[in-house]
Amino acid sequence: MTLIILWLIQDLLTVFSGGGMQIPGLFILGIVYKLLIDSSSESSLRSIWCAFAGGILWDLRWVGIPGFFTLGYVAVVMIVIQVWALIPPQGRISGTGWLVFVLMEISQLIPPLLPVLILGGSAGWVFFIRQQGNSLPAILLFMYIYSRKVKNSQKV
Amino acid sequence: MDNTRNTSREWTHGLTALIIALFLLGVSSGLGVMKSIVDIWGMILSIPEYPAVIMREMYLNWKSRSVNQNFLNDEVTRLKEENAKLRIDLARLTGEKNYSVASNDIRTARVTLRAPMSWWSEIRIDKGEHDKITQGLAVFSNGYLIGRVSSVSLMSSWAELITSPSFMIPVVIEETRELGVVMGNGDGNVYLRYIPASKGAARAGMKISTAMIGEQLPPGLPIGKITSEFAVGPDGYATYKVEPGADLSRFYTVSY
Repeated sequence: MTLIILWLIQDLLTVFSGGGMQIPGLFILGIVYKLLIDSSSESSLRSIWCAFAGGILWDLRWVGIPGFFTLGYVAVVMIVIQVWALIPPQGRISGTGWLVFVLMEISQLIPPLLPVLILGGSAGWVFFIRQQGNSLPAILLFMYIYSRKVKNSQKV
Repeated sequence: MDNTRNTSREWTHGLTALIIALFLLGVSSGLGVMKSIVDIWGMILSIPEYPAVIMREMYLNWKSRSVNQNFLNDEVTRLKEENAKLRIDLARLTGEKNYSVASNDIRTARVTLRAPMSWWSEIRIDKGEHDKITQGLAVFSNGYLIGRVSSVSLMSSWAELITSPSFMIPVVIEETRELGVVMGNGDGNVYLRYIPASKGAARAGMKISTAMIGEQLPPGLPIGKITSEFAVGPDGYATYKVEPGADLSRFYTVSY
């Protein structure tokens, strides 16, 4: 449900911006956040298919050709799953702030980068650079939510 | 945090999803049904998106009001009057007075989709049958023709751009009254073809507008200007490169 709401918020913000501003990928940030909180196998599988569905719907709404963001979202989920699995569960709580940032940044980097790499063109690069600038506040917000969640779980 | 993991299942599901995505990317651009699916999905989303559309309109209204409203109102009134006079002059010149009457009722539509694979060929706008859009209707940006409506659905329409390789319209060079055909090449360029090279009257900077001999578009709609001679064919006809008057890389709304 949270992911559906995030997808809709991302969509509504894109409509509101009218194409004049690139909106951060809140939906994929939500998925990455969920993967960092719960790295069980079931959660990972659910995240893969959620990313797939969300990517297709995004492509149908804003790209016109399904595949670009679908590919990017699923690739991000796979990278996060594999990288996060390399960290022992005991080590995930402290000292991984930079890694969480990198994983969340990857989620904003890869999906818009794929169309640029596939299609090329200077307009695409401008789009990509602007999106990276706009996504930074969203990444910091999700990092803050993540740190709160980790602190609360430690207290319990 | 639950850490029970099954790596092989994750890889299987992940790779399956990636392969399906790649497959979709490869085949979907050539499927005509994809456009219908995109339209239907856009129609479904138009319901939850409605508040954002309203908020955007409110924001734009507020923004335009905050920038010296009186000055803008006076300027708009002055430009409207000037525009009306120019339209009358234009209509008189082309011998088609009906055009000036019809083009007084200009409305705007928002561009809701411009697919990368067909960037220079077509756009989708948020007005459809409900807004009296019809097939063949001229679409403008910044007062210049940028295309015409190619298909209409209930709440949206697709417009073919002048840069599309299948877009061909008869035009006239305003300064010389020579007739030719404007067509795109699908790469963002627009060309004026079938101008007799022997006469050599066409020059860079000359204006181009739609000709009376067109079946669908009214005459006198401005398109752009000639920039350079591109090539002279063995048949003795020259092709000129045309610079569209509208900025086709930067438009978020169109008028019709």
